[in-house]
Amino acid sequence: MTFVAPCLRRFLVLCLFGAAGVASAEEVLVTSNLAGTKLSSQVEAIGAGVDQIELGFEPTPATEEYRVRFAPSLNGMFEVIASATNGFHWSGLLGTSPVGFYQVTPKQLSTNELLATTLLYRVAYGPAPDELERVRQVGPEAYLAEQLAGESVSENLDTIDTTPRWQKVTTTGLASSSRLYLYLDGAGDAYLDDVRLVAGTSDDGSRPNLLRNGGFETALGSDWNLSANLIGSARSAEFVHSGGASLHVVATEGGETQASSIFQVITPSLNALQTYSLTYWYRTSGQGARLTLRLSGSGIVSSQNLSGEPNSPGPIFSKLQTATATRADLRAWHVLRAIQSKRQLHEVLRQFLENHFVTQVSKSQDYFDGRGYGGPDPERLAVRTEFVENTRWREALLNPQVTFYDLLKISAESPAMIVYLDTVTSRGDGSNIANENYARELCELFCFGVDNGYDQNDILQISRAWTGWRLDLLAPENEFNPLAPRSTTYLNPGVVGSGLNANTNVIGIWSFRYRTDRHNNRAKYLFYNWDAAGNRLGSKKVPARFGPPWAGRDYAKTLPARIGSLGLQDGYDLLKHMADQPFTQEYLSVKLARLFVHDGFAHGYDFTDAISTLEEELVKNCMLAWENSTPRGQIREVLKVIFNSDLFGRHDASLQKARTPLEFAVSTVRALRARKEDGSFTAETDGYSVYNFMNRAGRMRLFDRAEPDGYPEDAPGWISAGTLAERLRFVQSALMPSGMSGKEDAGANTRVDVLGLLQLKLGSTSLTDAGAVADFLLRTLFPAEGAANLAAYREVAVNFLNTADSGLSASPWANLTPGTPIHDQRLRGLVGLLMSTQRFQEQ
Amino acid sequence: MNILSRRSFLSHSTKLGLGAALASLTDIPLVMQRVLAEGTIGQPGPNGRVRKLLFIFLRGANDGLNSVIPLGDSAYATSRPNLALTPDPIQPFAQIGSAFFPEASSGAGTYGHPYGLPLGNGFAALHPSLKFLAPLYNDGDLALIHRVGYPKQSRSHFDSQAYWENGAPADSAVKDGLLYRAMIESGLANTSPLTAVSIGSSLPLILRGSKAAMTNISNPTRYSLLSIPNTAAGNSKAAAALAAANAARFADKRERSLLELQYKNLSETLQLFAQLKFEEQDNTFRDDVATDGDTDWANANGGGYYLFPTVADKNGGWRRSSGNRPDKYVVPTGAHEFFERLKAAAIILNNTDALVAGVSIDGWDTHSDQVDAKNEAAGQGSHTGAHAGLLRRVGWSLYALQKYFTRYANHCRWDDLAVVTLSEFGRTTMENSDAGTDHAEASVMFLAGGNIKGYEPGTLGGVKRTGVWNCGGDGDRALPWVTGPTGSMFRAGDRYLQRNTDYRSVLAKLIRDHLGATPEQLTRIIPGYAAAGENLQTGGMQSKDNIRIIGEPDII
Repeated sequence: MTFVAPCLRRFLVLCLFGAAGVASAEEVLVTSNLAGTKLSSQVEAIGAGVDQIELGFEPTPATEEYRVRFAPSLNGMFEVIASATNGFHWSGLLGTSPVGFYQVTPKQLSTNELLATTLLYRVAYGPAPDELERVRQVGPEAYLAEQLAGESVSENLDTIDTTPRWQKVTTTGLASSSRLYLYLDGAGDAYLDDVRLVAGTSDDGSRPNLLRNGGFETALGSDWNLSANLIGSARSAEFVHSGGASLHVVATEGGETQASSIFQVITPSLNALQTYSLTYWYRTSGQGARLTLRLSGSGIVSSQNLSGEPNSPGPIFSKLQTATATRADLRAWHVLRAIQSKRQLHEVLRQFLENHFVTQVSKSQDYFDGRGYGGPDPERLAVRTEFVENTRWREALLNPQVTFYDLLKISAESPAMIVYLDTVTSRGDGSNIANENYARELCELFCFGVDNGYDQNDILQISRAWTGWRLDLLAPENEFNPLAPRSTTYLNPGVVGSGLNANTNVIGIWSFRYRTDRHNNRAKYLFYNWDAAGNRLGSKKVPARFGPPWAGRDYAKTLPARIGSLGLQDGYDLLKHMADQPFTQEYLSVKLARLFVHDGFAHGYDFTDAISTLEEELVKNCMLAWENSTPRGQIREVLKVIFNSDLFGRHDASLQKARTPLEFAVSTVRALRARKEDGSFTAETDGYSVYNFMNRAGRMRLFDRAEPDGYPEDAPGWISAGTLAERLRFVQSALMPSGMSGKEDAGANTRVDVLGLLQLKLGSTSLTDAGAVADFLLRTLFPAEGAANLAAYREVAVNFLNTADSGLSASPWANLTPGTPIHDQRLRGLVGLLMSTQRFQEQ
Repeated sequence: MNILSRRSFLSHSTKLGLGAALASLTDIPLVMQRVLAEGTIGQPGPNGRVRKLLFIFLRGANDGLNSVIPLGDSAYATSRPNLALTPDPIQPFAQIGSAFFPEASSGAGTYGHPYGLPLGNGFAALHPSLKFLAPLYNDGDLALIHRVGYPKQSRSHFDSQAYWENGAPADSAVKDGLLYRAMIESGLANTSPLTAVSIGSSLPLILRGSKAAMTNISNPTRYSLLSIPNTAAGNSKAAAALAAANAARFADKRERSLLELQYKNLSETLQLFAQLKFEEQDNTFRDDVATDGDTDWANANGGGYYLFPTVADKNGGWRRSSGNRPDKYVVPTGAHEFFERLKAAAIILNNTDALVAGVSIDGWDTHSDQVDAKNEAAGQGSHTGAHAGLLRRVGWSLYALQKYFTRYANHCRWDDLAVVTLSEFGRTTMENSDAGTDHAEASVMFLAGGNIKGYEPGTLGGVKRTGVWNCGGDGDRALPWVTGPTGSMFRAGDRYLQRNTDYRSVLAKLIRDHLGATPEQLTRIIPGYAAAGENLQTGGMQSKDNIRIIGEPDII
């Protein structure tokens, strides 16, 4: 593309645009023409004044530096004469800039670097500081290979490490009072040692401990007062963190306030305006009880689960396995895994499946409620069905050859799906008319896509195949055997007659069970054409637009009349038949492309016409990979096509999507989450706290969507003034220190140690350098944008750091001492600001 | 310095889509845009007032046949054994006149009346849960347009909602909303921060578009930003920094102009909203009569019921002087959250320059248990249940809006406002085996407003004009209740009520004659509106499926 500059009267200066300038060795020789891949920047404006030349140019993606080049003649080499750092503008004095030819070339991120960031944005839930380093180190190809083969990454996130060990906790907040309470949330015991309260936002050991006898080395006496429910507590030499003794906290009841806690009155009194830092060590014990330490008034609160890693999915996983988990537990577990798992692609794919094969925990709960059940309450039963479905997908995805058919089958067999789309009450025996809900959504939303290869007649035929797919209480070993009879283990075997078999009396697992007497046993004719009178004509044919090898194929299938348990085969034959049709291949390929590349893929391409976009080609290549893999429909083969495509690796995918509420919340925590030396992390959440945000930011309630089309993937589904307000509130709240008003939005258990992150990654010498701090944060939060493109944000950031809280006067950052409340607060404010910008909404 | 901007040159030549007439003007100074725009949308009308629109989307497909009921159809009761209502044995159903409004006696509670309420045309009746529509109907402020649909109706919720919202049935390539296009045509979309507002979980398609941001607020009481420190000074420092960051320029990416538009909308509307009072303590809007004949309540509380039941205490006469009475609720307690949103929409229209506000009610997809079939006698149980609960929200909403914009009018009076309900399709004439109904085609639209023309009594009794369209053998309608191919519309095998009106005709009438679009603008707001084969304006056969429609109903 060339653009002719207007002639300037006084100077023989011309600017060349779009010409192939000679790039120096360290720059990328990008040779393709894809959008955003630039050899030169398109100069948009050119001006001349007295003794001055000015160039205005268009920003290019992922640009680290804009270089202004000059050559005295068009035949010469363009040498770099300057770096344009002032807002896509450059001006040079004529005296120093001789008459000649000018060019602006962007130094963009290398393809490797770009690919690394795109992988972290799409294949993972956003960059995390450690992971970004690792991907750069091992290279994006290696990272991708590892993520595709999730089973090769060792992980034990769901296990609870029951080996008792000492764990350190630090928290900060304002002094709401001078009384410190500690207690458990129920009967139980715990070991506590080395409790320290110091002024400031971190404790490096140098400041005096404002608590007396925090190491419990001397008698408790009047330092630590025991309330009645904790009267059994005493110093102990059995398990000690340091010194000779620790505190063995023994509770007969849960505590809450002074009268039910172990407390200390701190003297002299604390300063209400001062931030303090509380640190202590507790010993994990495998119990589920919680230990709480807090100041009266809760300016500083710390609550820890004694069972292991704080905020680990492990304890929640054990509740899920024993069917004692609520929907809040399930959601928290899902969120924690998304944040913490090393198998990020695995987590992304599980969420994709949850949002594709939609089921709704509320509907399952309603089903179990009032129907009588043998065991835990309806919510826990409903959550169990979701968990089982999710676990089966998890296991399937770890199989390198997993196919779409495998995943589709798991969905069809899931009790959650059987209830959700009304298969559970559908009847086809005798003159009963089957319920069409599942058949319709199977065609419209799960396999083919709306009106793509099926019509109302097919829905009618398909609906009959599912009749008899129901639920019943089966013995645990028969949970996945739909032909097994009802469980014969009874709560009260002495009851006789129908009472014996009442749901409330049968002990079993609610499982998929096939009812032969509800099935429509007649033959079923799938994907035929029918005339208006209801006569069956020939097979439907794959439309010409698909091109070879699919176009023109007949794809009808007759399921023969089957009786008894043989009727169960109808459903499986149907799934097998639909799973690998070109319509399914197209529909799923487009969905996956939208998830991983950008939202601009459409259904219904004509693959045979002369004009073909890159998007169309990608979909076609995905379909070919699907068709040609053995067995057909291997998900990983399709994914490889997407991840290895030019569209994915270049600017066409980078930063072209917006984050859904789940992605936003998870990536907010991940972006600041680095591992400290003591094993803790610089950003944490308990997983529960993000529910409120996701609900307010557009009613994204995991596992509980009422409409089967799944939560939107595209930006207009989530980005509006009201939902943006919620996002901005969430990031500010997440960054707040505990106790600040507004912290409830993100939850007290969503905590970030910004200073800790900077100390880890930036080193203490640069902490007082506003520019260095800004640079670090910008490249951590926006790794794909390019430093030159972030110049405006950098300026805003440096100004922010150098301005007092009042916003009115200057307050040089270099004069603040790291670790003081004012330094900490301003740092948090800056990070909150940067994450409130438009760029942080993207991935 | 002579600067020619290549960017703006390029962007001119690549602009596509509807609203092109105004689109090409977006680079001229904004103050000129309004002058050059046609029509009077958003401009004061002949009476010096600006006219506004409030829409309520009933998502899930409202069973129109159970809302405005064709009691006069002979096969109605047999097609719907569990759902069917019966005429009041005392009320003379065939009498031509006004609608019947059964006030609650102290014993029977607000919705104790179990029969269909005659609408005074001898054929149609209101579901008793809609009884609060009767006063509006009798005031002539309500039009009930039945059998509304579009050609080749989709029975997919998602698709059909999309078509109602994008104004282009069967054309999913149209990605922006019809009311968005109306706002663009007004010329105000880029000058005023608030033109159209929705209160809900996300901006609905009907308000989406790429050139201007319509505002969606999920919770008006939380519509403010936090900062660190969370003080006034901290807030303003953060806001200034964010504004500076938002002004930065970046390379083009797919979602950047959407983000830019919505961020701009956010910052412009935050200040506006801070001045409006959405808190519960300011929800003091009341009826001016002893609502529902409840003089006990009126005497004890100095007036009628609260108009926006956002908490149980403000829900009808439930805290009546003789003790808490659930049967004195005007809406189910699950509706409190919806009325928060409706109240916010009303306050916004009343106190700002916003022209359009929208809310939605979910849950209309009553495939099963549409009624409380557990009640004993047939016809007795059918006035309660899931659908009845939903209808109560609609009935009370329209009643409350009339009162609010009459008693508390500020920038918007009842005469300036039109309220319209939308729903993606109707439900089957025959019920299914689960005491529910399945997806069908045509359904009913409710239109209310001071400017709406509905029922008019005759000077010597009887009816000069009815407020019911397409559901009665009434003389002044071009097409009376057309029965199916072989008899009653409800005959077995004929499960889908046939449409008689296209939804676009109704909306076009509103957008042109109420909001003030020109016919030319209308063809851009509703693509293909003037196309010959559609007969949307004047009525006739629609070419796609050869079904006759009445064209625009004369509701204004």
